[in-house]
Amino acid sequence: MARIPPQLLTQSLQSSAALAADQHAALLLGGYHPTPTGDALMQETITEAGVVRARIPALDNLAAKDHQQPSAVYRLAIFVVTRLGPGLILPLVLLAVWQLSATYGWLPDQILPAPALVLDVLQERISDGSLWDDTSISLLRVLRGFTLGAGIGLALGGALAASPRLHDYLNPLFLAVSQVPILGWVPLLILVIGIDEGLKNSLVALSVFIPVTLGTFQGIRDVPFAYREVGQVLTFSRLQSLTTIILPAAVPAIFTGLREGLSNGWQTLVAVELLASTEGLGFQMAYGRQLFQLELVIAAMLVIGLIGFLFDFLLGRIETHLQRWQVAA
Amino acid sequence: MKRTFLAVLLGGILSAGAAFADPTVIRVGYPGVGVDNQPYGYGDTASLAHVGKYLEDAFKDNPDVKVQWTFFRGAGPELNEALAAHQLDFAAGLGDLPSIVGRSRGLKTKFLLPASEHGSLYLAVSPKSNINTIDDLKGHKVAQFRGTNLQIASDAVLEAHSLTEKDVKFVSLTTADGLAALTSGNVDASFGGSEYLDLQKRGIVKIIYASKTDAPIFGTNSAFFVTEEFEQAHPDLTQKVVTAFVKAAAWGSTEANRQQVFEAWAKSGVPVESFAEDLQGLSLARENTALIDDFIKARYADKAAKAKQYGLIKKEIDLNSWFEPKYLEAALKELKLENFWPTYDANGKKLTDGAVESQKQAAAQ
Repeated sequence: MARIPPQLLTQSLQSSAALAADQHAALLLGGYHPTPTGDALMQETITEAGVVRARIPALDNLAAKDHQQPSAVYRLAIFVVTRLGPGLILPLVLLAVWQLSATYGWLPDQILPAPALVLDVLQERISDGSLWDDTSISLLRVLRGFTLGAGIGLALGGALAASPRLHDYLNPLFLAVSQVPILGWVPLLILVIGIDEGLKNSLVALSVFIPVTLGTFQGIRDVPFAYREVGQVLTFSRLQSLTTIILPAAVPAIFTGLREGLSNGWQTLVAVELLASTEGLGFQMAYGRQLFQLELVIAAMLVIGLIGFLFDFLLGRIETHLQRWQVAA
Repeated sequence: MKRTFLAVLLGGILSAGAAFADPTVIRVGYPGVGVDNQPYGYGDTASLAHVGKYLEDAFKDNPDVKVQWTFFRGAGPELNEALAAHQLDFAAGLGDLPSIVGRSRGLKTKFLLPASEHGSLYLAVSPKSNINTIDDLKGHKVAQFRGTNLQIASDAVLEAHSLTEKDVKFVSLTTADGLAALTSGNVDASFGGSEYLDLQKRGIVKIIYASKTDAPIFGTNSAFFVTEEFEQAHPDLTQKVVTAFVKAAAWGSTEANRQQVFEAWAKSGVPVESFAEDLQGLSLARENTALIDDFIKARYADKAAKAKQYGLIKKEIDLNSWFEPKYLEAALKELKLENFWPTYDANGKKLTDGAVESQKQAAAQ
């Protein structure tokens, strides 16, 4: 049994006391007249309506205090330390090693600029707005590609799960295509589409489409037959069965696919911008390398990593929200 | 007794082995590769030194010294990275902008002698394009190998037409990729060197700008550099290397060798006719001179100032302590070439005549 935090203990005592009172009330209605139990710790009073209210005086003060929730700042701090804390240890260690390398010159400072220099260049790019320009361009591109790829992926994954025959026809080709690294398509697509936005959209969409299709297909296919039986028993229509049973049950796998898709899409976008672009975060990395300003490269890498982390976090929260109907076992 | 004797013998053999130490490897880097990634350069005396094996000849009597050439597909920027990682001793033919950028970032090198001057910058467009002048470039996508000496020269050309880098969408592509992008129509124009002349001949592109008809600031330059580390450790080897480079430059400046010079450059895959067209009416000596005169010093000062102006470097560089002419002067004396090349002033006006020119005139007669 889980350890109950103190404030929850008082609350539960309160609520169980209230529950006891309600039960008393129910009994009263059925003609039962309660007498006080005479418990020393618990005071019971029987009001005119015959409802028993029980209090534990010793815990009154605590209960009163509990009504004031701990401040939001305090709760945020607790959240950061307990949930994010462990994850921050390793990055901080790496940062320390990086700073040591810069101080003692383990790597030439043209190859690995000092953290202070990277911070400087970040501040510079934030203040002159160029960081926002590049980031917003990259974000728009990935969102466009993601919408396209995820839309097609969800539809195709659902279709493959619904129709085993379609799956037989399409699966071998799909598997073969999914093995080709996305950047392997670049020379071919450049010839056909050029190096404009179309190239980025299609490559990002392709890299998103593959995991989303797989995730959707597996999620829907793996919905337990027992669940579908319930739908049949309750004579659900196909649409009702889809929205009430199948999709909610498939959410974990679909969202795994979506998260992987978004992560792939983001990485693909940066890679394509490295090769053939005139603006964006990947372009900044390439530009920094060509002009031997590797702090630009590292600054761009930090922003890219942070955005990737935020994407994953966001999708994770959406998934949790969609799964709130689940009762934890 | 016997054991001691054996120990001494073994020790003697081992230490004698140590006397035949690992050979000193002179690591030379060239910023660029030929068509199809062949390890050959073109357009400068560095590539002539490589093809003619001048360095290897200088050390052929010295088995302890080996020469190793590396060709960098990523050109100047990639070569700078190798310099920063202490993987090179000499940079042969490193372009003006990358060497300036490297110096502003604290790379410790010394300028030994130039490898090429008045290098051509061409702007190529598709034949059906409606871009006819530099001014028409505004808002178009242009391929350019960023970080190389092409960038600073193109920026200077844009500035002369009141444009900046922000008015044009530059896509950084290597030489080969830039050619491909222009021919497939993915970019509207491309800045490059003599490799575009062949494409113009075949009607695939149209060249609408050539720097040789413009002021000297718009030409590209390159030079030979040595790392301070290597120079201080092996000044004698440095001298021998410089002498070999000067020999190659002298051969490459002699008009009688014109055809062979083009053929040596053509090993990179760029055809002989392109070089003939690029240097038509111009002397080899003008491009392949080995002198550190006021002209080349002024060119590098110009480029450094422009690099700061365009925001390509953050810190100004100290030019005076960069040039190290003592090895060049010793080499000229040794090879009796003190008056071989003409000298020019900062604006390109000739100051003194060179013996190589009278040779040309003699050949013409």
